[in-house]
Amino acid sequence: MIVTNIDHVPGQNIVEHFGLVSGSTIRAKHIGKDIMAGLKNLVGGELKGYTQLLQESRDQALERMIAQARQLGANAVINVRFSTSSVAQGAAELYVYGTAVKVQ
Amino acid sequence: MKYTPRQGETNFNVSPSSIWRELFVLLAGLLAILAGLYLVMGLVVDLVAERLSPEFEARLGAAVSPRFHVVGQDDSRQRCLQQLADRIQDRCVHLPYHFKVQLVEDPRINAFALPGGIIMVLTGLLDRVETENELAFILGHEMGHFANRDHLRRMGRTLVLLAVVTIVFGPDSSLNNLVTGAMGLAELGFSRQQETAADQFGLKVLKCFYGNSCGADDFFAKIPKESDPGRFGHYFSSHPENRRRISHLRSLSSSDCRPEILKPLPECIVKGK
Amino acid sequence: MTNLIIFLSLMVLGYLAGSWAERRHYRSIAQREAQWIHLPAVTLPQAGIAPGTVDHAHLVSGSAVISIDYFKRFLAGLRNLFGGTVRSYETLIDRARREAVLRMKADAVGAAAIVNVRIETSTIGGHGKRGNKSTTCLEAVAYGTALYLKDR
Repeated sequence: MIVTNIDHVPGQNIVEHFGLVSGSTIRAKHIGKDIMAGLKNLVGGELKGYTQLLQESRDQALERMIAQARQLGANAVINVRFSTSSVAQGAAELYVYGTAVKVQ
Repeated sequence: MKYTPRQGETNFNVSPSSIWRELFVLLAGLLAILAGLYLVMGLVVDLVAERLSPEFEARLGAAVSPRFHVVGQDDSRQRCLQQLADRIQDRCVHLPYHFKVQLVEDPRINAFALPGGIIMVLTGLLDRVETENELAFILGHEMGHFANRDHLRRMGRTLVLLAVVTIVFGPDSSLNNLVTGAMGLAELGFSRQQETAADQFGLKVLKCFYGNSCGADDFFAKIPKESDPGRFGHYFSSHPENRRRISHLRSLSSSDCRPEILKPLPECIVKGK
Repeated sequence: MTNLIIFLSLMVLGYLAGSWAERRHYRSIAQREAQWIHLPAVTLPQAGIAPGTVDHAHLVSGSAVISIDYFKRFLAGLRNLFGGTVRSYETLIDRARREAVLRMKADAVGAAAIVNVRIETSTIGGHGKRGNKSTTCLEAVAYGTALYLKDR
């Protein structure tokens, strides 16, 4: 599965498209990490626990989007956009969407 | 590029697992965490309770007692109770407190211990008492709580747990309500041991004060089932079920309890009825 | 004890009403998605439509605000302690997004395609005080450019 965030796949022709596909996931950290992050906020710096959490969530969202595209018979998802929001406190919501296409 | 309308069958954006499974797993985890917290905090509070100074205790008691409708100092029953408590303490109880008995205008049948040597007796209880021995046992029982420092432990546990729960879940979350309720129940189960220990202390007081331990079970035989343990029960005096308690007391108290050897109530309490 | 009874009845009420509303909403979404399936919505700047054939184009959008029931909110609160995927919020977000896209399509009656679609999510309420989490609701908005073809 080819995933790009430009509106074509370089070197290939788009022959068919299937409309929007999207993947989303919402994850929370356990309270220990929350507390550690609160402490880290005092001194600044990278919140490793959060970085990792968001990265995992993004991967899962991508997987879900790709699964949906595959189900429609596509072999590429193009013009992909990510968006992040916080639905509940301490939980991150990752959303990724794009256009499912068939390229040759 | 042509458009092929196609509808996917599976919804990949929703986990396939059941929501009931989620509820079960989460609740089990929560219970495990709370049980752990309860054990650790209980140990900490027990340690602190052993070391609190009497002055600090008196201040704690003074902070709590205004919540009750105390009958004035000039009430004859109040003075009478105080005298009885003083006599018991002089002769039989050696604890670093000056016990202060306070009568609370309340129809419920209950008595409880507050930090700083305060014993609260509800008028509902006083109205049911028929002999001095019964009254002495009740006072002895509450003094037993002081001897074992139950009053501080219980208050401490409740306070600490509320604080922890509030920190973890926020001040007025629905979880907070659930946890507070669950804690009340756990507290009730735990304190049975404490009540039994206090009963034993009360029996010793009776034995020392009157030379026999009669009359201890009479009072509990009179309590109607529905009035026990009452609203305060959850926090201050969750008493074991009466039947078990009576049989336990009977097995411990003197065997030849004729009504003649029981002392009648002092005049001043009878008059106040 | 009273607190516990209120809490339990709110849980049961939340679960029953929430799952009923959710099933109903999903049925309605499935039915309307089938109805609008011939109108493509894509994130691409053009969807295989030759520039010469377009008569006019304008912005279309759709949004939906959706809230979660007591039972699922309780589950999410618990999940927050342990970490992991917040199972009970997934359907909430899924429903809000699909509803927003459907409303955007309903805004584009007669169009040949909606291009350059963007979808955004935000939470309203529940972020002020910590104890006030109970009002969490979610807004999903979808917008894009609807292309209308010339009559021939």
